[in-house]
Amino acid sequence: MSLGLRGILNRHNALLSGTSACPGCPENMALRMLGMGLGKDVVLVVVAGCSSVIQGNAPYNAFNFPVVNVAFAAGPATASGLARAYKQKGKDVTVVVWAGDGGTADIGFASLSGAAERNENILYLCVDNEAYMNSGGQRSGSTPFGAITSTTPEGKKENKKNLPLLMIAHNIPYVATASVGYPHDYINKLKKAKQVQGFKYIHVLTPDPYGWLFDPSKTAEVAKLAVQSCYWPLFEYHNGKLEISPESLHCLDKRTRRPIRDFLSIQGRFKRMSEQDIKILEQYIDDMWKKLESML
Amino acid sequence: MMRKIISGNEAVALAVKLARVGLTGIYPITPQTTIIEVLAEMRAKGEINTEIVRVESEHSAMAATFGAALAGIRSFTATASQGLLYMHEMIWWVAGSRMPIVMVVGTRAVGAPWNIWNEHTDFTSERDSGWIMAFASNPQEALDLTLQGFRISEDERVFLPMMVGMDGFILSHTKTNVLIPNQEQIDEFLPPRRQPYVIDPEDPVGMGNIFPPEEYMKLRESIDNALKNSEDVIREIGKEYSRDINPLSDYSTLNVKYKLDDADYAVVLMGAWAGDAMEAIDSLREKGIKIGMLRIRYLRPWSESEIRNWLKDKKAVLVLDRSTSFGRGGPLYVEIRSTIGDLVPSIKGVVSGLGGVTVSKNDLLYLFNKFVEGFKEDVIWYYPREVGKIEFRTPRDIE
Repeated sequence: MSLGLRGILNRHNALLSGTSACPGCPENMALRMLGMGLGKDVVLVVVAGCSSVIQGNAPYNAFNFPVVNVAFAAGPATASGLARAYKQKGKDVTVVVWAGDGGTADIGFASLSGAAERNENILYLCVDNEAYMNSGGQRSGSTPFGAITSTTPEGKKENKKNLPLLMIAHNIPYVATASVGYPHDYINKLKKAKQVQGFKYIHVLTPDPYGWLFDPSKTAEVAKLAVQSCYWPLFEYHNGKLEISPESLHCLDKRTRRPIRDFLSIQGRFKRMSEQDIKILEQYIDDMWKKLESML
Repeated sequence: MMRKIISGNEAVALAVKLARVGLTGIYPITPQTTIIEVLAEMRAKGEINTEIVRVESEHSAMAATFGAALAGIRSFTATASQGLLYMHEMIWWVAGSRMPIVMVVGTRAVGAPWNIWNEHTDFTSERDSGWIMAFASNPQEALDLTLQGFRISEDERVFLPMMVGMDGFILSHTKTNVLIPNQEQIDEFLPPRRQPYVIDPEDPVGMGNIFPPEEYMKLRESIDNALKNSEDVIREIGKEYSRDINPLSDYSTLNVKYKLDDADYAVVLMGAWAGDAMEAIDSLREKGIKIGMLRIRYLRPWSESEIRNWLKDKKAVLVLDRSTSFGRGGPLYVEIRSTIGDLVPSIKGVVSGLGGVTVSKNDLLYLFNKFVEGFKEDVIWYYPREVGKIEFRTPRDIE
């Protein structure tokens, strides 16, 4: 952890020793930062995924929060029940749904959309490693075009589902994107989200060494490259206003973007991409930025 | 205490009100819809404080109800048919979490093809999930069992969720005279909510992360034990309920007898058609045929002792299923065979009333007569005589 974070390290130690995460796990990083951003009065609702394993074997639990593990599609609804019950009991608790991209983009989307439409007072965190990493790296709706997964050995033929934009379309008060490569930005967004009444959605990019095929020591580096190459935009949408985060401002001008090849070549999952394929992915990135720009 | 002419669904909604339920997750499905509509109406009028979460599916209805229960609040939901099947995953999750919750199922056929009418297959297909499962035979019982449900599921010897079945339309929409307890009576009957653990930042515990095989199996056994223990708890609570709240109904046993003690022949069934069966039994008794009835009120726990004791000296037993276990007759038939197969020389089964097929007192009379005369087949599918035998058809044949 960089020196700059020392001041907030003691806010709440979200992770105890003895997690069963893989080396270089980005979800561990994201969870540790969650504690730094939100402090103590948090209840975690974890849907099926790596995080239901990382906690370790019962009766032990390495997450230093009360945790409810729940079926894949049940996260946002379970959190709705919890949040309303705490309100009834007069308790100030931040209820957090912690779900992967499969639980968010695919099987859990109806439940997520429903809870957002009801504007439940919960914080939904999508930890996006762009595939079903816990069950062997199968493609999800959030896997990008061209990526090799265990069910798309030839490379995925469809683009990534843009969940943050979908959530903005739900008219909820707060939507943000983050990357574990930029802890300050992520923690600040968590702090802000905690103050907002209603449904909050934060989408964190969590590059996975084993599914993305890079060395486990490079998780933070890949997470940074995703932002620098403008593949992963950092922004905040609050009270109907979109704002590009400082780390992504250079993306608004195509000329100042870092080449996408820098992001692609550091991982093994894009190795089957042809020149033509890279153009398709570049087009996707261009279109996404045009869309974001039009919303500013 | 007062009497009122109300439907089964209204009776259930009143029970939810009297139990001071803190939260109910609601999603409409016929025929339980009016339960949640009445609750929403009560809430709008300020008659109840129950938090109502209007979710986007039955899966979420159970999840939201579960969430509130975890946080320490009494919670309720209702469903039927496809909805029950859709929440199947969460039904198991709740039981595995040992979390007290009460749910009412307005039983209805399951598709394909679409059919909104009555049968019990949706309900019986959940019998291995670890829930306590009671089944009402009239709106009064629907109200009484729902109220007892909170007390039973929140008993520390049990700590399991409970569902109450009620024949869709036949009970859910039929208005009858129902004895409604006072709020004071129920406040006394229902102590503040108890549960095995509460999810609360003040006492951080984790629920549902990975259990090693042996621990997992021990937890499964604890559910089995709790379900068995619940038998005595149900009798105890039932006795208290009959003494203090509804002296007109006897809840001191899990199941219900009708002219059974001196009978040579016994009919076993569950739900609303018990009323017609009792009339048919009365007619046969007038002709000197010694026949009686055992009505299953609790599918789980399955009171082996009660059922064996009550049926042990019978010449023959007929099991009526408004439900299927394809290839094996009906679920009740299979259960009864496995319970008294060594005691009773002849056990026959009838599958009927599926998908809303009306089975009248006359049909039951015909069936019971045929049974007393003795029919050859182990299980028959019976269509009311007015319909006659329907040829088996596939959708293609219908064209």
